[in-house]
Amino acid sequence: MELNANAFGRNSRKALLDKTLQEALGRTTGRFQAHRDAAVAAFPEFEATRERASRIKRDVLDHLDTYLARFIAEAEKRGTIVHVARDAAQAREIAARIARDEGVTLAVKSKSMASEEISFNEALQGAGVTVVESDLGEFIIQLAGEAPSHIIAPAVHKTREQISRLFERHLGEPPTDSIPELVGMARKHLRAKFLSAGMGVSGGNFLVADTGSVVLVTNEGNGRMGTVLPRVHLAVVGIEKVIPRMADLPTFLRILPRSASGQAISSYVSIVTGTRRAGDPEGPERMHILLLDCGRSAILEGKYREILKCVRCAACLNACPVYQSVGGHAYGWVYSGPIGAVLTPLLVGLPEAAALPDASTLCGACADVCPVKIPLPDFLLELRSDAREQGLKTPGEIAAMKGYAGVMKRAGLLEAIERIAGVLGQFFTKGKGIGGLPYPFSGWTERRDFPAPAARPFRKQWKIKRGARG
Amino acid sequence: MVNERESLFRRLSAACGGHDGAVAGEPLPGGAPLAPEGDRVALFEKTFTAAGGILLRAPVEKTLSDLGETLRAEGVTALFFPEDDAASREIAEALVPFGPFNLTTAEEVREGSTSVTAGFRTAEAGIAETGTIVETSAGGKTLLPGLLADVHVSIVPVTSVVGRMEEALSILAAGTPRNISFLTGPSKTADIEQTLTVGAHGPKKAIALLLG
Repeated sequence: MELNANAFGRNSRKALLDKTLQEALGRTTGRFQAHRDAAVAAFPEFEATRERASRIKRDVLDHLDTYLARFIAEAEKRGTIVHVARDAAQAREIAARIARDEGVTLAVKSKSMASEEISFNEALQGAGVTVVESDLGEFIIQLAGEAPSHIIAPAVHKTREQISRLFERHLGEPPTDSIPELVGMARKHLRAKFLSAGMGVSGGNFLVADTGSVVLVTNEGNGRMGTVLPRVHLAVVGIEKVIPRMADLPTFLRILPRSASGQAISSYVSIVTGTRRAGDPEGPERMHILLLDCGRSAILEGKYREILKCVRCAACLNACPVYQSVGGHAYGWVYSGPIGAVLTPLLVGLPEAAALPDASTLCGACADVCPVKIPLPDFLLELRSDAREQGLKTPGEIAAMKGYAGVMKRAGLLEAIERIAGVLGQFFTKGKGIGGLPYPFSGWTERRDFPAPAARPFRKQWKIKRGARG
Repeated sequence: MVNERESLFRRLSAACGGHDGAVAGEPLPGGAPLAPEGDRVALFEKTFTAAGGILLRAPVEKTLSDLGETLRAEGVTALFFPEDDAASREIAEALVPFGPFNLTTAEEVREGSTSVTAGFRTAEAGIAETGTIVETSAGGKTLLPGLLADVHVSIVPVTSVVGRMEEALSILAAGTPRNISFLTGPSKTADIEQTLTVGAHGPKKAIALLLG
């Protein structure tokens, strides 16, 4: 996928002015959050399960060489062909070669963020293979020629009217404003693809080391179709998705759907292991797993190792006030929200995405909901400081921060500034707030409105209130 | 490619900092109380229904007429079941007069039959914790009735209902069949305007027939 992360400011401005997107975001993120909170509240063991999941993931990352070797050995024992790609270019080459060698002309794909990282579809199209996205949301945005804007609800920015127009134009369906009818049209169209495709392509939510299995978690059932019907199955998965044992899987199945959509479990969990066995009436004759490094081993080596614990539930997106306001496209690459603000700079290089760690208010909501306890706000701060050390901040930003620190350390100076700001602020803004400041402060106010400085500073108000309470 | 793999493992070993190779491994969950069979089945009924499934229980005559009615309401005209699944065959054949329904085969459905279908299959386990039906490919069993049908009818012997996911996996993952599927409620999507809609790719209705 094309990288445009450093344009976060410009992208957000566009997103904030997009009325359809704003409505969709308001509707969606709120609902996701409410469902997630209700599911967590209804499951008293959530906290203990989360702790356990976090520890298992930590253990895996600390011994990834051992677990990944075990996974590969077990998978190969059951007839799976395992490929390893160092970077996106190599992954594309391998994927195209697999499709060519298998004689595939049509592939049906279920959702895979990892495949977005390597621009999988373009690679296969380059090899003459048609790739059809089968997740409904992905299918819609593929018809629209766009990129996903949410990990688990990629078409969150599309209205039913827009979708009906897409189906009219590309599938020849009559217009409708009924969502069940739209779903039925996609079902009919995609069922035919599943039944005729030579290859099913999937991601992988988990790789089970002790059995060599790939686990797919879906609600629509597309992952299931694509791993049972076509004669070839290709799973494109990041190396960090390993879990030690089949017995650990339930722990993750208890946190992932609850965090993602507020379900106790998703409609479907497929655990697939190797090729069809003698006597099996169906199932793929060939199975390939393409394991992606693509920057992961470098992350593993550094201080951000724990970001690789991520299970891609998207709870941090829904909880994030910045994501709620600007949506996924603003982040300019595959991953959005707090996880994207950390993962993207680490995968593509900080200079290419230095704007993203600033795309946060550091409110901590992401860390509160993360089902594997990734310290996202700490990582965001750490990345900001890395950006400064690498000279990726403007001298103006650095000077402003130094000045701010200087003032905050001197109580008397702060008090004087507060008093002056209170008087001047109220006078100039008539108490209404600050919408735009002249250069060099315009960088701050371009995309933010600030309240006017209070006539009476907070610390004074605090003193008075505390005094009143005795 | 072997070289690329070796090079990956060199990078990983360097990153993991030359640990002694001993993997700690988490202790397995300390077995939450496993309810006696009666309670497990009651919990399964509750969770299966909460997940959007329709649960029917004997006596058989009443169940058959209820099931027939549910299938007719969904517009079902054809029934199919695995060749070697005696319980499914018995129930599907007994249902024919309640339709009228035709009997068809998984192959015909796979060829792209235009009938609205109900696919029957005996479940290998029910999981009370989540209301989940477990089907595997072990022993050459087919998954097509739960995959291709518009309505999926699972035959669930009460003795196969377990409490937690771990139990189902410890029984069914032995020998790691090619496919282990957890099916919970109907196929759903909320990808259009966050509106929950059934029947995205899989069955629009999930029915469990508890036997015993």
